[in-house]
Amino acid sequence: MDLTRILLPLAFGLYLIAFVLYLLHFKGRQASVAKGAFGSIVAAFALQSFVLGQRWLSAGYLPVTNLFSTLFFFSWALAAVYLYFELRYRIRAIGLFVIFLNLLLLGAALPRDPVLKPLIASLDTPLFTLHIAFSFFGYAFFAMAFSLGVLYLLQRIIATPALPDLHTLRRLNEEAIFLGFILFTLCMIFGSIWAYVAWGYYISWNIKSVWSLVVWLFYGGMCHAKFIRRWQGGGYAALSIAGFAIVLFTYLGIGLLLASNHPLD
Amino acid sequence: MLQRIWKLLCSLKLTIILASAATALTIVGSVVMIRYPKTFGMLDEMTLGAWFSRFGHSNYALTGWFWVVCLLFILLGINTLCCFLDWLPKVRYRWRKSGEYLIHLSFILLLIAFIWGSASGDRSEGHRLPVGATLDLAEIAPGYQLKLVSFDPTFSAEGRPNDLPSTLVLFKNGNRVKEGTIRLNHPLTYADLVILPGSLAQQVDGFRFSGAVELRPGSIVRQADGSALRVISFLPDVMLRNGRVFPGATELNNPAFELELIAPGQEPWRGWYLLRQPLPAPLAAAGFALQPIEPLVTWVSILTINRDPGADLALLAAWCMAIGVLFALISFYDKRQRGDAPDII
Ligand code: HEM
Repeated sequence: MDLTRILLPLAFGLYLIAFVLYLLHFKGRQASVAKGAFGSIVAAFALQSFVLGQRWLSAGYLPVTNLFSTLFFFSWALAAVYLYFELRYRIRAIGLFVIFLNLLLLGAALPRDPVLKPLIASLDTPLFTLHIAFSFFGYAFFAMAFSLGVLYLLQRIIATPALPDLHTLRRLNEEAIFLGFILFTLCMIFGSIWAYVAWGYYISWNIKSVWSLVVWLFYGGMCHAKFIRRWQGGGYAALSIAGFAIVLFTYLGIGLLLASNHPLD
Repeated sequence: MLQRIWKLLCSLKLTIILASAATALTIVGSVVMIRYPKTFGMLDEMTLGAWFSRFGHSNYALTGWFWVVCLLFILLGINTLCCFLDWLPKVRYRWRKSGEYLIHLSFILLLIAFIWGSASGDRSEGHRLPVGATLDLAEIAPGYQLKLVSFDPTFSAEGRPNDLPSTLVLFKNGNRVKEGTIRLNHPLTYADLVILPGSLAQQVDGFRFSGAVELRPGSIVRQADGSALRVISFLPDVMLRNGRVFPGATELNNPAFELELIAPGQEPWRGWYLLRQPLPAPLAAAGFALQPIEPLVTWVSILTINRDPGADLALLAAWCMAIGVLFALISFYDKRQRGDAPDII
């Protein structure tokens, strides 16, 4: 019995329920509705974690080697990041966008083939696992920052009590960018060491690596932009949105639009 | 005046402007990279220094952006260095920010390491090394020789190579300095050298004859009467010109052995046995009956050999950066808790 094919649609359903409940909470702001939404997300995350663990065990390696498994892993990391913010700051309906993104990721994964193939020898190294895991956790924080950026701009226009105040949104956004940058830096470090032992050089100019450098540089710059008064707030939020566009292109766009010699394309 | 330049070089605004400009230009440049693979596809095959001297000047319309990106990175490095030096005197009461210090320092180190490797490193691939042979690395690393002790490629069910393990011994000026087995993701490194498996090929290096006799360079066949036949060399393809033998192609076509016959009480005989022709008369007379059956094939390991004098410094920078980001993570929350914000400009 293929657990992935049964449990993953179930997780998708739970995220969908959470999304609807958060929408209701956004309007009515009833605590019980938010609790229900949170419960659904915890349950969906638990299911995803179980599936990930089971796939990891049966494959013998962290399965992040094709589009299905990276979409799935990205969505799992995004849920983990959401839970971090929720448990720490009780962000509630801020989760709307993140959960929506999660639905898109998981929705894109579901129709794809989840079959686990033997790992090809060139990927059989812990450096690969660390490189990929950190990259998707970095992406997940950047996705969170994107949602916070959108909500910041929204809050500035509609000024609703259903969302936290601008100051809180800004600080959460800065935290997401900072954590994303830290994790993405680790991803780049492991990736470069891997490149060195696999190819004999640690900086490659293949298109995916170049775009990863762009992502790193962009968010490195953003780690400083918050220290400049004029760029705090709206500008920072807009940059969080632009940054995520770069992330999405690096993750999906290159594989779909351009040819690259990156091992994962 | 000098103070104003120093302030500019230490400025955080400059950092953001440089980082944004480098980001934007690289985004545009990556499209040029894709559209002109003849120029930019070579970037990974040589060091950046070699690439700039070979392609960098040929067409500034194509490569100009890349010069500017590199310049922006150097400026960013100078900016980081000045900023770091400006902070340094305050490190005693800013020890909480060691993480940030380490990140900035490691970026500078990384840049230096990369420029060093790009300027005086080297890359080369396609070094063919049959089992037992020794390669002189004079061209890439003078004074070094590399011997292939064994090569045992493994294959998948579809026949594609799974891994290419080569056991190598590295010599420097004739002294054995390092040995080990290289595989995918496991290179041999020594000083600034890194040796990696590239691909594989097959090479005919001898022949099997009737009577289960196998001849390769160095083989000796002895007869009961005390005569001995020694293989001096083997060529998979030879050409005959005026009765003399010349090497031909590297593929099997007109194979030949250079042999030496030593028989008791006789002058040694030395000559070529072209396998497509009858056995030379002195060999037949000595009682040898060498009927060729099939070629003997061995694997050739094809290696990539690079030299990067900055690699160790880059690894040190990577460690510094990794430790730095972890410390910065702690100090980020510490700063938040204490309400400590840097000077906002
Ligand atoms: C690409 C190079 C650089 C990288 C990767 C980098 C990275 C970082 C990181 C991750 C932080 C921590 C941010 C935080 O606490 O939220 C930081 C802080 C900082 N960086 Fe950089 N940085 C770079 C270049 C520079 C340069 C050139 C300057 C100087 C103009 C600079 C000045 C600062 C300052 C003033 C802080 C704040 C430290 C504090 O909290 O007091 N950085 N940097």
